[in-house]
Amino acid sequence: MGFERFVFYVFAVILVYAAARVITVRNPVHAVLHLVLAFFTCAGLWLLLEAEFLAITLVLVYVGAVMVLFLFVVMMLDINVSPLREGFVKYLPMGFVVALLIFAEMFMVLGVKNFGAQAVAIPERHGADYSNTREIGNVLYTDYVYPFEIASVILLVAIIAAIALTMRRRPDTRSQDPVAQVAVRREDRVRLVKMKTEEKSG
Amino acid sequence: MLENYLPIMIFIAIGIAIGVLPVLAGFVLGPRKPDSEKLSPYECGFEAFEDSRMRFDVRYYLVAILFIIFDLEIAFLFPWAIVLDSIGMFGFIAMMIFLGILVIGFIYEWKKGALEWE
Amino acid sequence: MTFAPLATEIFLLSMACIILIVDVFLRDERRVLSYALAQLTLLAGALISWSMLGNETQVVLHGTFVSDPMAALLKTSILLVTVGVFMYSRSYLVERDIFRGEFYVLGLFAVLGMLVLVSAHSLLTIYLGLELLSLSLYALVAFQRDSAAASEAAMKYFVLGALASGMLLYGISMLYGATGSLDIGEVAEAIALPGEQGIILVFALCFIVVGLAFKFGAVPFHMWVPDVYHGAPTPVTLFIGSAPKIAAFAMAMRLLTEALGGLYGSWQDMLTILAVLSLVIGNVIAIAQTNIKRMLAYSTIAHVGFLLLGLLAGTTEGFSASMFYAITYALMAIGGFGMVILLSRAGFEADRLDDFKGLNDRSPWFAFMMLILMLSMAGVPPTVGFYAKLAVLQAVIHVDMVWLAVVAVFFSIIGAFYYIRIVKLMYFDAPEGDAPLAVSPDMQIAMSLNGLAVLTLGIFPGGLMAVCNAVLS
Repeated sequence: MGFERFVFYVFAVILVYAAARVITVRNPVHAVLHLVLAFFTCAGLWLLLEAEFLAITLVLVYVGAVMVLFLFVVMMLDINVSPLREGFVKYLPMGFVVALLIFAEMFMVLGVKNFGAQAVAIPERHGADYSNTREIGNVLYTDYVYPFEIASVILLVAIIAAIALTMRRRPDTRSQDPVAQVAVRREDRVRLVKMKTEEKSG
Repeated sequence: MLENYLPIMIFIAIGIAIGVLPVLAGFVLGPRKPDSEKLSPYECGFEAFEDSRMRFDVRYYLVAILFIIFDLEIAFLFPWAIVLDSIGMFGFIAMMIFLGILVIGFIYEWKKGALEWE
Repeated sequence: MTFAPLATEIFLLSMACIILIVDVFLRDERRVLSYALAQLTLLAGALISWSMLGNETQVVLHGTFVSDPMAALLKTSILLVTVGVFMYSRSYLVERDIFRGEFYVLGLFAVLGMLVLVSAHSLLTIYLGLELLSLSLYALVAFQRDSAAASEAAMKYFVLGALASGMLLYGISMLYGATGSLDIGEVAEAIALPGEQGIILVFALCFIVVGLAFKFGAVPFHMWVPDVYHGAPTPVTLFIGSAPKIAAFAMAMRLLTEALGGLYGSWQDMLTILAVLSLVIGNVIAIAQTNIKRMLAYSTIAHVGFLLLGLLAGTTEGFSASMFYAITYALMAIGGFGMVILLSRAGFEADRLDDFKGLNDRSPWFAFMMLILMLSMAGVPPTVGFYAKLAVLQAVIHVDMVWLAVVAVFFSIIGAFYYIRIVKLMYFDAPEGDAPLAVSPDMQIAMSLNGLAVLTLGIFPGGLMAVCNAVLS
């Protein structure tokens, strides 16, 4: 338990640091990279909760793919950050007061009394041969087959939306059409013209 | 279950150490004489023309998002492959429908020409 | 395992996929085939779900899907309202060169999302149905790619909608943590048990109500409504403003009464605040609008306030009154926004109030239809809007909340001002331009049917009211 708790705090500290940097760094690309770090440590925390499939999917999908997309978008937008920050200092005290109020309210409602660690039993640890992925698989394709199929429809909508919104035909680009290239015949390229031999004029 | 991941943790720790230590060593041991000219961008002797960042074409975005969608689909295949022997025909057909719907999306994007770079 | 209760959803999904594939093989001048197929799909789907109206309640697919009379009625009305939406939208899309198959396919997927939402019996299904609906709508709002206003509206809608989905999801996860189940029936049972989970449940309820209120567009979660309605292409505004309100009603029924019925006391107070604020803000701010799309957006907010009144009454009478309100409001909304499309033409949006000046001189018949629609929204007899409001108010009075009924009546009288103003513009002002009104035949049929339906339902409200009562009891 001791070592696990140590690992938890290491991940948690890095996660909070990275998340805070995401919203405070000036350079949007750095923000994206901090987000990668946040996802990565988050995956570590999930692993501690024995949700290994989700942890690995988080690394695979979010760190691997979604963040690449984020980088594209951030670079595509070419944001000039300084105008966005105007008024930051002006509103800082007000924002601070509001944040403090919300925190106090949440602490009063959510305090240790209702949401503390003793309110929920600690789940038992599984043995070395336990596979979280197998557990998910056993219910995902049988009990939860309906939500599973809806998920595929949502992915289909994402494909259609992405294509409908971003794809443009450019008439001025030149592209190769391999089919046409292969199917071309000699007659299309070379035209033989019969001509009379010309008399050499005397 | 967690003990299986101990080697990976040790691996990550060593990896971080190898990455960080040389930089740290250079930072601590190396001589430093800061100069503003050293930090300025060098472009064959003349002043830099423009910002180093430039806009990406929106088509990169389209390719990336299509990649993500199929990446997610793959993520669904892993647990399926593991439990295929215990979920029977029902689970098999469920996945086939899932893939079928995405194949329709694939046909659509192919015919639309979204996969061509032009 | 039986799949018969899912017939409507399976049919709609298959047809949407077929239309998607058929459409990519069509040449531009044959595009109307996609439109026709989409309309046929909706009509056939409406028939299928109507035929299930008499079936008994059935929970299938391991408790993720429920087929009951309420679902059958709401699905039928969603499908029929969408037929109207597509009818109005065709000429607008053709004139603006965005008549593409994707519009109809995305529309069908949005409808599919609503159907999933309507017959959800698991918190997970509710969330997924909502996401399917919202994603399709975000894409539809941005459909006119070259319009800066539409892109801005889509951005606002997406960011705020994602936030609201996050809230809802957080509430659902708290609920799952407290009850240990996603199944709506099991959640209700777990809540009925006496335990010490009270505060966690109320906490979950708060987030769920926030998510719901956002989807309804109830004050104070209404900020997106005017901007999105204004910026989106008018056919999309028409769509967002009509059918999803019926789906949102179903979602509220599933979440609040079926799953969280045990917490009635808590959510009644929350809904009361939302309803009163919506009635006040919606009706008062609508007066100041000069753009008819924005005005109708604020009027939507006010109508949502009324819809919530029926829900918070917490009786079967209240629920059926709300259901009647949701269905008839969708009918009025497509008529109101349809009129904006009808007056528009290529390169000209008739979205200012001034564009309605002197409509009576240009076309007495359409002016009359608009008159019926506006009177109905204001709640003047003998239109259907009057009976919808009356039923809701009765339900509220029967649970001894007379003050609430008084507030509602007071603000709908204020609200009547801006509806009557349009009538005045149409009948007593001179037209600004004398451009002839070019209206395509399908549009004429749709508008006439729409207006007459509002009038007929107003004269004979008994039938629909009886069905609404029957499906809930």
